[in-house]
Amino acid sequence: MGVKVLLVGLDGATFSVLDPMVARGVMPFLGRLLAGGVRANLRTIVPPLTPPAWTSLSTGRTPGHHGVFDFFRMDSPESRHIRFSSSHDVAVPTVWDTASAAGLRVTALNFPLMFPAPKVAGHVVPGWVPWRQLRLACHPADLFDRLKALPGFEPRELAMDIKLEERATEGCSNAEEYAPWIELHIRREANWFSVFRHLVETEPSELTAVLFDGVDKLQHLCWRFIDCDPGTAWASEWERRAHELCLEYFRHLDGILERMCALVGPEASVVIASDHGFGPTRQVFHVNAWLERRGYLAWSKEQLEKQDPAGALLGVGQVARHTFLMDWTRTRAFATTPTSNGVFIVRGDGNGGPGVPESEYRAFRDRLASELLAERDPATGEPLVSRIYTREEAFSGPFMSMAPDLTLSLADGGLVSILPSEHLVSPRPAVAGSHRPLGVFAAAGPGVRRGADLGEISILDVAPLLLYGLGLPVPEDLEGRVPEDAFEPGSLARRPIEVAKASAPAGPPRADEAAPPAFGEAEEEAVLKRLQELGYVE
Amino acid sequence: MTKVESQESEAMRPPREEIEAYVMKVLQELARDWEYSGEVGETTGLFRDLGFESLDAVVLGTAIQEHYDRPMPFAELLADVGQREVRELTVGELVRFVEAQLAAEAQEA
Repeated sequence: MGVKVLLVGLDGATFSVLDPMVARGVMPFLGRLLAGGVRANLRTIVPPLTPPAWTSLSTGRTPGHHGVFDFFRMDSPESRHIRFSSSHDVAVPTVWDTASAAGLRVTALNFPLMFPAPKVAGHVVPGWVPWRQLRLACHPADLFDRLKALPGFEPRELAMDIKLEERATEGCSNAEEYAPWIELHIRREANWFSVFRHLVETEPSELTAVLFDGVDKLQHLCWRFIDCDPGTAWASEWERRAHELCLEYFRHLDGILERMCALVGPEASVVIASDHGFGPTRQVFHVNAWLERRGYLAWSKEQLEKQDPAGALLGVGQVARHTFLMDWTRTRAFATTPTSNGVFIVRGDGNGGPGVPESEYRAFRDRLASELLAERDPATGEPLVSRIYTREEAFSGPFMSMAPDLTLSLADGGLVSILPSEHLVSPRPAVAGSHRPLGVFAAAGPGVRRGADLGEISILDVAPLLLYGLGLPVPEDLEGRVPEDAFEPGSLARRPIEVAKASAPAGPPRADEAAPPAFGEAEEEAVLKRLQELGYVE
Repeated sequence: MTKVESQESEAMRPPREEIEAYVMKVLQELARDWEYSGEVGETTGLFRDLGFESLDAVVLGTAIQEHYDRPMPFAELLADVGQREVRELTVGELVRFVEAQLAAEAQEA
């Protein structure tokens, strides 16, 4: 049996970038694939963030049900201890689990929240793992040695390399570092393609999926070089070079897509999806500074004085881990991570202790939300916050208590800062890229309509579609649906969608039960460097 | 727990030699990936000699937990290491830590 369903993840891909790439002739294969299949804007979950969004795509469940809200996770709703999320935190079955349990083979490459790797029948190389430990992360245990024998296999460039991440981070402020950094991502995608090709040629899996995350990374740092008119006159040679290399990245990615589709053959269903979209961001809203000004948050002067100004990144890491910079006797609301735009409310015991008593919680939250919505950009007078989601709106489900009380959509489309600041809003040195709710979806293959635009579908629809493509029933508790209008008339009649009873939870960590920390508190150095590189932290 | 059950539980616990052999095998394999040319032995320092970053230690700890299919407080171990004057964890210490965790669980069983 060969590949039945191929899922190509393009982290952060948006049609506002891909369509012009097709029109300019940079991605001719993608153009043909879209013309020969269906396309749609793919609405992601709240927040539009890599770990919860890919988990929603692979489970068909919203974060309140799968339990992943951020790169980070509190050990319990009351905890101030924060650690990095891992596969142990995914509380419901993924399509990888379901396909494997049904006797199908699965290959999943570079997806987040897959370390430790699930013991599926097939192959897993998790994403977001340091290269020096990649051997330990691969499943099955002998996979790494087989990959290592491949010509040109370079684990340092395939997975995370702390030193390369450092260089990339430092390179943001150094024009000369852009070109090598973009070239690294071209090589990284080639490396992932080599792994993919080897596994498809030697041990094909019915469900094969690979995630290319360079799209997201380039768009974060190089948005202005990507989202630009063809005739843009660049002020300097390095900017022109950066622009050309970004085009080269997408050209190279298009070639990889073509070769992947050729490898799996015309009988395979091909699905392309992203976890969120992208757009420009020009400023940073210092939400904890705003909360401080309003009297909702207090910094610990003692801890602030201990901060090494030169160690700003480490400081952010410490905030992310312990939020120890805050004076918890006087803090009632805080943003704890720079990634999810989430604001948490400290619950009090109702006996005069710190925090907001349960009886006042709703009124407090409503007031906080209305004040945030009313806040104006000091420079323009425009609102800073365009929308606020309560946890009931965005995160209903058994894990709701782990979610932020409020999640902000900023008018600028960007991210909050969680650091102390004298300013409410800081301009970015240059336009950067930031996440947006509409990602991309495309599909082609047997029974799929040709050249149809489905408008908009949900990221929750992808898991049911993948299961249907594999010939498996769709569990009734999935929150998405198979997008039936993706198929030719008669195709669904010949092979109707089957519904299965709700799948059993995958031995979940409950909301009130801490999962064993697969990634511990010592992890922040490397991962936070990567987050910094992506523009999440200053 | 009856005396017989306790003896059975103890008997199921891997001996130190087995733990040591497993940890050593993992580290030697990893070291080859990094092109580390030195010996890996009981006194080898993970940070000083093998060049571990903290994340490397966390991932190694996770792999050991997966191998023995039980949670171990590696975060606490690493926090303790972080408090030391010389931030170091030797292979021998790591083996003794794993052995102690498995022994503690066997006793609780």
